[in-house]
Amino acid sequence: MDSERFEESLDLILDAGQALLENGGEVFRAQQTMEIMARSLAVQNFHVYVLTNGIFASARAGDGAGVSRIRHVPLVSIHLGRVEAVNELSRELAGGQLDLDGARRKLEDARALPQTSPRADRLACVVGSAGFALLFGGGMLEMAVAALGGLVESLICQQFGKRRINRIFTDIVAACLNTLCALVVSGFLPVLDVNTATIGALMVLTPGVALTMGIRDIINADYLSGAIRLLDAVLIAGSIACGVVLAWLAARGLGALPW
Amino acid sequence: MDYLLQFGVAVVATICFGVTFRVSPRHYLACGLTGAVGWLVYVLCADLLVMSAPVATLAAALPLTACARFFAIRHKAPITLFLLCGIFPLVPGAGIYYTAYYFLRNDRTLFANKGVETIKIAVALALGIALVCSIPLKRSKQ
Repeated sequence: MDSERFEESLDLILDAGQALLENGGEVFRAQQTMEIMARSLAVQNFHVYVLTNGIFASARAGDGAGVSRIRHVPLVSIHLGRVEAVNELSRELAGGQLDLDGARRKLEDARALPQTSPRADRLACVVGSAGFALLFGGGMLEMAVAALGGLVESLICQQFGKRRINRIFTDIVAACLNTLCALVVSGFLPVLDVNTATIGALMVLTPGVALTMGIRDIINADYLSGAIRLLDAVLIAGSIACGVVLAWLAARGLGALPW
Repeated sequence: MDYLLQFGVAVVATICFGVTFRVSPRHYLACGLTGAVGWLVYVLCADLLVMSAPVATLAAALPLTACARFFAIRHKAPITLFLLCGIFPLVPGAGIYYTAYYFLRNDRTLFANKGVETIKIAVALALGIALVCSIPLKRSKQ
């Protein structure tokens, strides 16, 4: 294999692995996909170690020189459509339906899959919050307030995400404003069940992703990555709790609530 | 009838997570069904069989994960797609909220109760997923 093709193959493999990690693929999936791709592209002596936020890989070029690559993947934003597309790419590559150039094109296509429009995102948040309020025993009023809370949360998440404000602070503020929403409304409409309305909207923030991915990493014996994800889950849960406490404190401080 | 309504709402709520996670639209229904099956089993176990929340969560996580695996094979897509969205109705959001709430109310007994229950639910969820994911399939892709 000439060195140019070798470099291209290695870059393609690393890019695919990075695309998986960035968009919410599990660690073992990234590792497995990269190994399968390396075998299909005949990259010799390919070894790779994947963590939640990094990829370390080495291979041996045709002339016997060792080559290594490191990728840092600091930001994860869940885009499962891309994970699926890269997964399909690796399957087609292994099945011999794609060559190097075809795979490269396909990877670029996968990375260019559009994000959901902010409006659809907000709508999903609103409907989801209202739905959970109903599931947790709320009536129409609770659903309406939860929907409002969900709207506030998604606006906060989008705006803070744009300004690259860290995740913990975003969660605290979102949970806090959501609880405040319910508390303010209950100030005018005392029949409102604040707990149900708040929980409905909080479900959107809960660390379901981190928890599930952490468990799956640990099942697959990636203990370090699993521990990172579980720690993430605990932190998110803690920030939500902090936000709720802050909102109640603020409401009580303003004398809005009989305690 | 009430359970039917709950099932329907759980489908919609789970699909909402599918939208936020940019699952391709052809998987929406599968995601929704996965989540709704989990929620329905949870509610039935908690209401009719009077199970505690953690046990009901464990009982619900089993069919939920089985559903996710079934759809993953049928749609030839990674199981993550269905599991990530479907798990949300069972995540102990209410537990987190009540723990914070009783912490603030300075009610130590209830605070400890809710805190431990939240952790139990999370562990039950983990156990359920781990159990079903670990079962080897006869025709797993090599």
